[in-house]
Amino acid sequence: MANHLDNRSVRQRLQEDGFCLFPQVLSVRELERARQGLDAGVALTRELLGTTHMPMLDPNAASVRVNNLPAIDPVFIELLLRDDALQAVAMTIGEHFLISNFTANIALPGAGSMSLHSDQALVVPPPWLQPWAMNIIWCLDDVCEANGATRYLPGSHRFTSPEEVPDNALELTVPFEAPAGSFIAMDGRLWHTSGENRTADQQRRMMFAYYSTDFIRQQANWALTLPAEVQASLGERGRALFGLNPIGNSRIAVGLISLTGKKT
Amino acid sequence: MAELPNPTRSVEEGLRNIVEFGFTVVPDVLTGPVLTRTRDALYRAAAEDRRRQREIETFALDFGEVQANQRIWNVLSRDPVFEDLAEHPLALEYVRHILGWPALLGNISANICAPGCSGGYLHADQTFLPVPWPDAGPQGLNCAWALDDFTADNGATSVVPGSHRFNRPVAPEDMAATAVPLEAAAGSMMVFESRLWHKTGANVSSDSMRAGVFAWYTKTWVRTQENWFLSLKPEIQQFGSDTMLTLLGYKSQGFGLINGKSPR
Repeated sequence: MANHLDNRSVRQRLQEDGFCLFPQVLSVRELERARQGLDAGVALTRELLGTTHMPMLDPNAASVRVNNLPAIDPVFIELLLRDDALQAVAMTIGEHFLISNFTANIALPGAGSMSLHSDQALVVPPPWLQPWAMNIIWCLDDVCEANGATRYLPGSHRFTSPEEVPDNALELTVPFEAPAGSFIAMDGRLWHTSGENRTADQQRRMMFAYYSTDFIRQQANWALTLPAEVQASLGERGRALFGLNPIGNSRIAVGLISLTGKKT
Repeated sequence: MAELPNPTRSVEEGLRNIVEFGFTVVPDVLTGPVLTRTRDALYRAAAEDRRRQREIETFALDFGEVQANQRIWNVLSRDPVFEDLAEHPLALEYVRHILGWPALLGNISANICAPGCSGGYLHADQTFLPVPWPDAGPQGLNCAWALDDFTADNGATSVVPGSHRFNRPVAPEDMAATAVPLEAAAGSMMVFESRLWHKTGANVSSDSMRAGVFAWYTKTWVRTQENWFLSLKPEIQQFGSDTMLTLLGYKSQGFGLINGKSPR
């Protein structure tokens, strides 16, 4: 259980393995609320967008994608702002980070695999020496190889350039395994892909709370997409984490303050 | 004094200058009534800010007498003439060559250095990036518009020619590096890449004002300095060209999305 994980061992696992499993951190009631929220998200996406298939990401429609979770139900904002999740993120990428995205991927029987990638390699030029992003992967079902658990390439969070990715990387991937109600904290440099759901009748619901360091542009445009009443309900910390404040990418000035020893 | 490139209207030569020196000066881009209207619009906005006491108290990159170094933020929301600077074809030609397209406008702000202005701290614009900086080249580009003559004694932006090739931020011991003023006639555009060390010069003249508008462009993965979705006046969303809406992130790929799609 999560409370058996002290900060030191979490940090050690994140550094050594590039991920850390926080097993069954959600109560039965929290898990149920998250599942209900996701059901609503699937229905809303079908109604508004006409489809839950994103051909850019997934080979077939058995992979269901739901975007914009924090706009759909307050339970998703609770998950994003949970102390255990935020601590895992801060431990890995430092205190200055933003909520970049929060989406769900439901692998229905027959769902295929996307392409192998690291979240960081998709976005920033090499060398990838430090973790600048982290996924908090919420598991709403028991996830295992057969039902399409995310597959990762062990040790690949240490790759600093594309040349280090082996040709047979996909064969070397292994599936995460986690019971429903867990989250997996995953370093943005770890190479991974979604698995295939080869079961006859199991769905595999995972939600990806994606955080990135504050000089990286967010994947979702929260200012335009979060309803006004949701924005108004956020506290100061929440507003800052969603990047809704006037101060943008101003690390340059922060750096100069420390250079000169002066403060404005 | 270090050898400096001559001002040139040739983009080919300008791009070579940027590779070798980190910057280039393009003369006579704004002329006649266009230059007058742009300059008038900036001084009018500056005067209104001062009259209404709407100036930000200090900016971390400035030092000395703040009254003599006025910053005017987000000029895009102040007058449509600044839209013409942000999407000036010549500026965007440099942006396309150096950053690729689409690119983002991270900020467009002005700085008026009056007699007595002490100048600013030496810095590179991509200092938000942790070291080591990528080998992939500059992640941003500054197009600085001289609305007055920039001279050695009125606070012309000073640069350390070739310093972009160090590919690292300014360290405390570099603060004394020899910076040379970028002298340029009113209406010139000065283009410098994001690794070039530069600073606001000191205005030691008795009566010469030095107004410049600085348009900061980045690759699309970099978070903007200005939160356009909070601060931009609605007319630009309404009337802005596709190019402008791309620069501001309203037309987008991969980042700043709504339901996985471009906001516009």
